[in-house]
Amino acid sequence: MTRLSGVSPAELRPGEDAIERFERELGAVQATFARSTPETLARRIVEALREVGARHVGLTADLGGGRRALVEALRAADIEAVHYEAAAPSRDALRAMDATVTGCVAAVAATGSIITGERAGRAGALIAPTHLCVVERERLLDGLSQALRVIAGSGSSMLALQSGPSRTADIEKTLIMGMHGPKAAHVVLLDGRLDEA
Amino acid sequence: MSRSDDPLVGTGFRDRSRAQLGQPFLRQAIPRATDHTIAALHDRFADVDVAALRERGRRIRAETIRDLDAHLETLVAAFERNGITVHRAADAEAARGRIRSICSAAGARRVVKVKSMATEEIRLNPALAADGLEVVETDLGEYVVHLDDDRPSHIIAPIIHKTRQEVRQSLSRVAGRELPDDTAELTGFARGQLRDAFLSADVGISGANFGVAESGTVVLLTNEGNGRMCTSLPRVHIALMGIERVLPTLDDLAVMLPLLAGSGTGQLLTSYVSMISGPRREGEPDGPEEMHVVLLDNGRRALLGGPFEEALHCIRCGACQNVCPVYRQVGGHAYGWVYGGPIGAVLTPLFRGFDDGGELPQASTLCGACDDICPVKIPLHDLLLKLRRVGGGRAATRRERAAATFWAFLWSSGVGYRASIAVGRLGLTLARVLPARLRRGPVLARWAAGRGLPGRGGRP
Repeated sequence: MTRLSGVSPAELRPGEDAIERFERELGAVQATFARSTPETLARRIVEALREVGARHVGLTADLGGGRRALVEALRAADIEAVHYEAAAPSRDALRAMDATVTGCVAAVAATGSIITGERAGRAGALIAPTHLCVVERERLLDGLSQALRVIAGSGSSMLALQSGPSRTADIEKTLIMGMHGPKAAHVVLLDGRLDEA
Repeated sequence: MSRSDDPLVGTGFRDRSRAQLGQPFLRQAIPRATDHTIAALHDRFADVDVAALRERGRRIRAETIRDLDAHLETLVAAFERNGITVHRAADAEAARGRIRSICSAAGARRVVKVKSMATEEIRLNPALAADGLEVVETDLGEYVVHLDDDRPSHIIAPIIHKTRQEVRQSLSRVAGRELPDDTAELTGFARGQLRDAFLSADVGISGANFGVAESGTVVLLTNEGNGRMCTSLPRVHIALMGIERVLPTLDDLAVMLPLLAGSGTGQLLTSYVSMISGPRREGEPDGPEEMHVVLLDNGRRALLGGPFEEALHCIRCGACQNVCPVYRQVGGHAYGWVYGGPIGAVLTPLFRGFDDGGELPQASTLCGACDDICPVKIPLHDLLLKLRRVGGGRAATRRERAAATFWAFLWSSGVGYRASIAVGRLGLTLARVLPARLRRGPVLARWAAGRGLPGRGGRP
């Protein structure tokens, strides 16, 4: 437990279960939550992308060893799958993406957040209307202070904490999703490692 | 000079607030919106020790500001280590000059902006427009403000004063056709427009919610994601940061992020928090090639070590506006400059001088609601009182000043005090026996319209 436990709402309370809290907070910020094993991951992702009708999907380098299997599974399902870093230099390619799939540096249970680093691209998680993030179980951290400590040592040029989809309430306080970033944010908690997928 | 140039000059708070009070929508919209934020704040922070968290926040801000120069030195060194070019600007003109020359060196034609109070403070957009640059504000509210040549009226919710119909008219002008009367459709139209801007802009300009000295990181909070778009896609990123926005460590950031998001919008965290520690590096898929931070003084340093130093603790969450009974009636434009509400009534005279802003500290009932909600416990009502003393009652009319002088004279002697009480008693007795119409008289008629006098025996 951190010294901010019980003081900051961005930390777990003593004895609280991280996964349970993560799921609840993701719901509170209008993100979806699912669990998967390495064996079922590709199928789950294909299903989720089919559901939103995605045709052009960018996959980022932080998916590591798991990316190849995911690309193959998407192509087998007739979904165009590209490496984000290959597409990023082209504005047209960025425009065409209707979903991106990323890994993450860490996730924060207490706030329902994922943290992506530069390997996901600075814009990788928010350029498309749908974002799907794979969180390896060991990357799920308790609270914000622990997460900031962990990433402090990472030497990253850019880290982005994101909690749910993009939103605005500027017009008469009516909440609208997908102002600039994704309208829908899906999180898959992976019981295992991506390179086993 | 057009009204958007400097409404603070040549107008008074009374006139400005009278104009705002004549807008019935504003007086409904502000309480509706702000009550929603306050309720969400209480809900999300219900099961933690908020008092302890605010005390942590206060201590972090106080200790940082007390030793500001040392922390700034660490911050600048860390920024430079991260490949960020640091510029120092003593005032608004210097800051505008720096930003203009960076844009010019980059051969920029189109600039996208993240909503930033500091850039409002230095009136950046007109200066860039004068250089022939196309400037696009990308926060939805700020985009509409810019289209209308208007000004933001709340630190967090810039178009709190506009109806959906007004927004629809503004966006329809851009579209060249009548857009449907539907918030989702209007937002969707703006998304398309702004997406084009992100993808074609040469420079992205942001403020900085915080600069973390330990890691050399610019921290930006948005809910829309425009902060990240503006700082990821264009070739150059410029962040304008008030020198007081430094935080020594990432541990401090862990305290301040929920305080700012909670107080600003009632969230645990804003949807997006960007932590930017330099431009794109070799092998990275995207990001700006160049990154600049312009450190803005503009009257801040002068407050260090003085009676108003605590004004520098502010993290611009807007919570004091939400609870202020004066702000809730008159809105942000009545304050005449960039910052409204209690913190605006403090900062405006300090940054702009007493000639233009000296009457604003009077625009407060001193109820203390702002002190109670401030996430870093700035004693706003003490600062307002101190400013009233320093300002020397500039806002008072000659008659009010004469009355106050007479009152002070009267109550400075025992005889005078007792005499005033006797007259007061006589007045109350008369008030009870005279008919209602005469009781009020011409002087008190308006005041008495919504109030009753105590009845016999002091009971109402």
